[in-house]
Amino acid sequence: MESLSNRKKVLEQKPMNFWERLYLPAIFQGMAITFKHMFKKKETIFYPEVEREFSENWRGMHSLKRDEQGRERCTACGLCALSCPAEAITMIAAERQKGEEHLYREEKYAAVYEINMLRCIFCGLCEEACPKEAIYLDGPIVPANYLRKDFIYGKDKLVEDPINIESPVAGN
Amino acid sequence: MLRVTETEHVDFSSELLSKFGEIVKRYPEGKHKAALLPILHLVQAEYGWLSPASMERVAGYLDLKPIEVYEVATFYTMFFLRPQGKYVLEVCRTGPCCLVGAEKIMEHLENKLGVKEGEVTADGQFSWRGVECLAACGMGPVLQIGPEYTFHENLTSESVDQLLVDLKNKDLSI
Amino acid sequence: MAVIYIDNVPYEVKAGKNLLEACLSLGFDLPYFCWHPAMGSVGACRQCAVKLFKDDQDTKGRLVMSCMESVRDNLYCSIEDTTAKAFRSQVIEWLMTNHPHDCAVCDEGGSCHLQDMTVMTGHAYRRFNYKKRTYNNQYLGPLINHEMNRCIQCYRCVRFYKDYAGGKDLDVFAAHNNVYFGRATDGVLENEFSGNLAEVCPTGVFTDKTLKEHYTRKWDLTMAPSICQHCSLGCNIIAGERYGELRQITNRYNGDVNGYFICDRGRFGYEYVNSLNRIQHPLIRSHVPEAVNRETLFDHLKPLLSGKVIGVGSPRASLESNFALRQLVGENQFFSGVPETTAEMMEIILSVFNTGDVRIPSMKETEEADVVLILGEDLNNSAPRLALSVRQAVRNNPVEVANTINIPAWHDAALRELVQSEKGDCFIAYPVITKLDELASGTYYISPDEIARLGYAIANFLDPQASAVPDLQGNMQGHAVLIGNSLQKAKNPLIVTGVSLQNPSIIKAAAAIAAALGEGDRKAMLAVVVPDCNSMGLAMMNAPSILNSTALSTIGSPDTLIILENDLFSISQEAQISEILDRSTNIIVLDHLHNPTSARADIVIPVGTFSEADGTLVNNEGRAQAYFQVYMPKNENLRESWRWLSDLKNLRDGTTDANNVTPHDLIRQLADKMPQFTGADQAMPTADLRIKDQKIPREPHRYSGRTAMNANLDVSEPKPPSDPDTPLSFTMEGYKGLQPAPLNSFFWSPGWNSNQSVHKYQMEVGGALYGGNPGVRLFNHINPGDRSYMNGIPPRFKPDKENWEMLPLPHLFGSEALSSLSKGIAELSPQPYVAINSMDAESLNVDEGSILQVIIEGVQYELPVKIKPELPARTAGLPYNLQELTGIKWPAHGQLVKG
Repeated sequence: MESLSNRKKVLEQKPMNFWERLYLPAIFQGMAITFKHMFKKKETIFYPEVEREFSENWRGMHSLKRDEQGRERCTACGLCALSCPAEAITMIAAERQKGEEHLYREEKYAAVYEINMLRCIFCGLCEEACPKEAIYLDGPIVPANYLRKDFIYGKDKLVEDPINIESPVAGN
Repeated sequence: MLRVTETEHVDFSSELLSKFGEIVKRYPEGKHKAALLPILHLVQAEYGWLSPASMERVAGYLDLKPIEVYEVATFYTMFFLRPQGKYVLEVCRTGPCCLVGAEKIMEHLENKLGVKEGEVTADGQFSWRGVECLAACGMGPVLQIGPEYTFHENLTSESVDQLLVDLKNKDLSI
Repeated sequence: MAVIYIDNVPYEVKAGKNLLEACLSLGFDLPYFCWHPAMGSVGACRQCAVKLFKDDQDTKGRLVMSCMESVRDNLYCSIEDTTAKAFRSQVIEWLMTNHPHDCAVCDEGGSCHLQDMTVMTGHAYRRFNYKKRTYNNQYLGPLINHEMNRCIQCYRCVRFYKDYAGGKDLDVFAAHNNVYFGRATDGVLENEFSGNLAEVCPTGVFTDKTLKEHYTRKWDLTMAPSICQHCSLGCNIIAGERYGELRQITNRYNGDVNGYFICDRGRFGYEYVNSLNRIQHPLIRSHVPEAVNRETLFDHLKPLLSGKVIGVGSPRASLESNFALRQLVGENQFFSGVPETTAEMMEIILSVFNTGDVRIPSMKETEEADVVLILGEDLNNSAPRLALSVRQAVRNNPVEVANTINIPAWHDAALRELVQSEKGDCFIAYPVITKLDELASGTYYISPDEIARLGYAIANFLDPQASAVPDLQGNMQGHAVLIGNSLQKAKNPLIVTGVSLQNPSIIKAAAAIAAALGEGDRKAMLAVVVPDCNSMGLAMMNAPSILNSTALSTIGSPDTLIILENDLFSISQEAQISEILDRSTNIIVLDHLHNPTSARADIVIPVGTFSEADGTLVNNEGRAQAYFQVYMPKNENLRESWRWLSDLKNLRDGTTDANNVTPHDLIRQLADKMPQFTGADQAMPTADLRIKDQKIPREPHRYSGRTAMNANLDVSEPKPPSDPDTPLSFTMEGYKGLQPAPLNSFFWSPGWNSNQSVHKYQMEVGGALYGGNPGVRLFNHINPGDRSYMNGIPPRFKPDKENWEMLPLPHLFGSEALSSLSKGIAELSPQPYVAINSMDAESLNVDEGSILQVIIEGVQYELPVKIKPELPARTAGLPYNLQELTGIKWPAHGQLVKG
C-alpha cells in the first residue's frame, strides 16, 4: 500500500557481520562520547546553591507592588481576577478610611487578596490586565510545599516588603 | 454646592419689596416663578451680591424652594455668589482678546490688586474676573467695569494702572 | 408601521417612535446618554447622531440626533456613515475630558454605560492633557454615594429625580464647565426613589452606598430573578450574592409591573438576610444543648406531628410554603396569621375582584389613568412604586393636547414645556398630608369613616341605585359631586384604595365607586394596596384568621401549633397572642430571624429568606410571580420552609418522596386543589425546563475566582451546588442566549454591560420582554352578582372626647419589619410619635415634642407629640408597625393623657 505521508522508510534487517558482532568498536565509540563530556561545560545547575539566571520575560511568583511612597498600589478593581483563565485569583475590596492614606494609594484597596498557586498557570494575564501596575510576576519559583492549603497565597506572601521602597531594584 | 456659611437674616426694605410686587404683577397668576430673574437683579443691585440668606428670602417671597433659586442664580455668571468690590473689572478672555494679551492683563491685575480672580481687595474697592466675549474683538484686550459698565479698549499694563488710579481718584473726589 | 432605510437596508418599524428607539429595537448598537426609555428624549448629549438623507438620491445628508427624529415612512439614514461615526467619537471624547478615568476604584465599573459607550464609539486614547475640573462631593445619606467628578452632564439624574419622581432637593447648579448635580447642602436625599439614581446615572456619580460595604463587581455576582418582599406590589428585582452574602438589589424590568424603577425600601431593605440575628440551627428548647442536628430534630418532632396540629400561614411566606403547611396540617387546621380586620378586608377585596365589576390594573395600566381618586392610602409610604405611577398618570390629561399639535410622546423637553404645572384631576382623601397632595386637585383630610362615607356619596352620585349616605356632613355632598363629575368625564378613571387605615368600609366604598362608574369596556380600574408581599396569595387560600373568634373556638387546645414565617406578636396585642400560644402544648416556629414569637417557641426551625429559597408570590393585582434562590447557603439548615414542611409531612406519614419536591410540583398541586390558583403553575417554571439542553446560568460568564474564592475553606474544590428545583444553575455554565423572561438572572449583552442592556431583552424598546412580561394574572374566574360590598355605610364620625381614634400611619422606612433591619433604613426610620392636630394639642395643653401617654387597651406608650394641623379632631396618628410600636390590635381606640 502506498504510504500516506510518502515518508515511509523501509528498514533493512540483514545479519550483523563479524566486527559488529564483536560490539567492541561500538563500545569504544560510545565511551568516547562519554569521556568527551567530562571536559565540556556542565549543563546542570546546583540548585539551590546556584540559581539559574532568569530571562527578562520570566514569570515567577506574583508580587503586589507598592508605590514610591510605600502605599499599596492595588485598588481591588478585579480585572486580574477577571482575566485569570484559571480563575485562581479572588479578592475582597474595601474602602480606604480617613487616616489610611499612607497605606493605600487610592480610595479602594484589597482587604483580602488570594491566589491559588495550585491553579495558577503563570500566564501573566493578570499582570497585563492590571491598570494600576500593581501586580507583577517577578518573583522566584513558587516553592514546593507539603499541604495544599499552603498554596493559597494571601497578601502576607504577595505584597512587596515595605523595605524595598528604600532601595529600588536596579535596572527597573 | 453652595458654601452656605451665612445664616444672618436678611430683611428687604419696604421699597425693595414694593418693586418686587410690581414685577410679580407682570406675570399671569400661578407663574410668579418667572419674576425670579428680575427680582434677583434687584437684590444684587441692592446688596452687591446674592448671599444665601438673601436668596432664601427671595425663595420665601416667591413661594419657591431655596434650591430653585440657587439653581437659577448659579446658572448666570453675572449673579455674584460672593461679595464683590465696589468696582468689578471684567476682562474679556475669549479668543481674540487672548491672542492680543488678555491673559497678561489679568495677570497684571492679579499682581497689582493682590487678589485672585473673584476676590475683593482689602479696602473693598476692587475685584476682577475673566468673562466671555465683550463684543469688541477689533479693540482687544478689553475690559468693562461694573456696576456702571464703562468699557476700556486696547489695554496695556500702563493703561490698566492708569485706570485703577483714575477709579481711586474718582472715589476720593465724591 | 413605517419602512425606514438604515444604511440602505429597508426595515419595518413602528411609526411614532423616535429613530434611536427604532434603531435599538432593530438591534443596532447606537450610543446614547440623555435619552431614557421611560423618560423620553431631550437631545442634550449629542451622542446618538446619525446621518439623515432627504431621499435615496441624497448623498450628502445631514447629521441629526436620532433621539429627536420621528420615525416616518421612507426615512433614509445611516449609522455607519463616516461623518456620523467621527461625530459620535468626538462627542464622547469631549464628554470624557474631565472624567477622572477612575474605573478601577469606581463602583460602576463593569456595569457602566459610559464605559460601554466609550468602547462602542472607539474612543480609546485620551488627547486632553490639561488639568481636569474637580468638585467637592456631598453626603447624600446612608443609601446613595456621590462622586461628582465622574459626571458627564447628561442631566438624567435631575430629569428622573425632579421631573419623573417629583423630588425637590436635587438640582443642577451653575453652567458651562462647572455644572454640578447635587443638593443645596449636604443631607439625605428625600425622595423615595433616590436609589434609582444609581441605575439612571450612566456613570458612577450616584452609586449604591450599601454595596460599598461589601463591594462586588457585577460580573462577580451570582444573581437570580427575584421579587421584592417589602410591600404588596411585587416589583421585580435582581438579587446578587458573593461569598455567601446578599450584596445588591437592582431593578429587573417588567413592563407590566415596575418598569425601570423600584423604591428605596425595596432596593436597600435586603440586609436582614445577612443579619447576625438569623436562626442558624434547629433549636429544641428542652434539649441540652438547644441547637440540634436534623436527625435529632426529626426524632423529636415525629411524635408531635401525630396529634392535633394547627398551622398558621404567613402573608410574607410563598404560596409553596403556605400550601406545604396546609398539606401538613390539613385544610381545616390551616389558619392565616393575619389580624382579624385585615382578613376581613382581604375577604372583601377578593369578593370584589371575583365579581368582575372592576378592572384590576397592573402598575403599567395605572400609569394610563386620566383621573385618579385615592381613598385612604398614603401611597408614597405604603406602596411607593404605585405613587410613582400615579405621578405619571396625572400628566396624561394635559399631555393629550400634545397629540393635537403633533408633539410626539417621546419628546420630553417639548412635553414638559407644554404641560408646565398643568395636571389632570387627582383627588386624595386621607387623614394627613401625603406627598402626592401637591398633585391633587382636591385633598380631604378626614377620618377613615368619613373617607368611606365620602366614597359612598360619590358612588351614590354616579349611580343613584347605590344606597344614599344618610346624615352627610356640610360640604361633603359638594365634594362628592365634584369628584363624581370628574370621574364620570374620565376616559380611564382609576380608584386607589387599600388596607392601611384598617377600615373595611373604605374598600367597600371604593369598590362601589368603581362599580358605579361603568360596565363592560368602560369598567373602572380599582387598585388595592394590601399589607404584605403575599397577603393576596394567602387570602386566596380562604383560611380564616387565627385571631378570629370562631377560629379560636375550633382550635381548642391543640397538641402542636406550627407558625410559619410570622411574628404573631407584631400583629396583635401581646395578651391575645399569648392566650393562643398558651393553648398549645408544643409550638413550632419556622422563621429566618429570631423574634418574640420564636422566643416563645419550643422548637425553632431555621428557614431560608427569599434569597435562599424559591417561591411564588401573588401581588396586589393577583399576579403570581416566581422568585428564585440566589445562592446555596453554606449553612445546610437554611432550607426553604416548604422543603422542611414537606419533610415533616413525609416524617409523619412515614412516606418518602420518590423524587425531589420542586416548587413547581407544589404549585401544580395547589392549582389542582384550589381552582382559584389555576394558572399560577405557569408562573413557576418546571424544574426540568432546559434551553438547548442547558440550564440557565446565575453567574455571568466572566465570573471570577472560582478556584480560589473558597480555597481557604476547602482547597479540593467540591462540586458546585446543583439546583434540582428550578431550571437555573448555580454556576456560569449554561445557555448564554436570550432566556425566558421570568428566568432573566441578569441583563447583559455583548458591548452592553450596564443595566441599559435591558433593551436587548425587550421586543421593542420600553415594551414587553421577549416571551411576555413575567407573571400570571389570576382572578379570571368571575362570580358576578355578589354586590354585598355596596352596603355597609358607616355612621358619621363623631369625635369622642375620651376615646380617641388611633390612625396607623405607614412610613416608607420603618413600617415594614424586615427592611427596617437594614442599617441605612433603620437610620432613616422615624422615631415613635403621636400625631394630633393643633386644637387637640391645645385642649390637652401640649406642644410639639412634649410627652403624651397613649393608652391602647391597657397598654401604655409614652410618645412625643407631633402636631399635624390637618388631622381630624380627636384622632391620633401613630407610625404604623415601628419596632417600638408593634403589637397593637388595629383598628384601635385609646386614651391620650398628658404625661
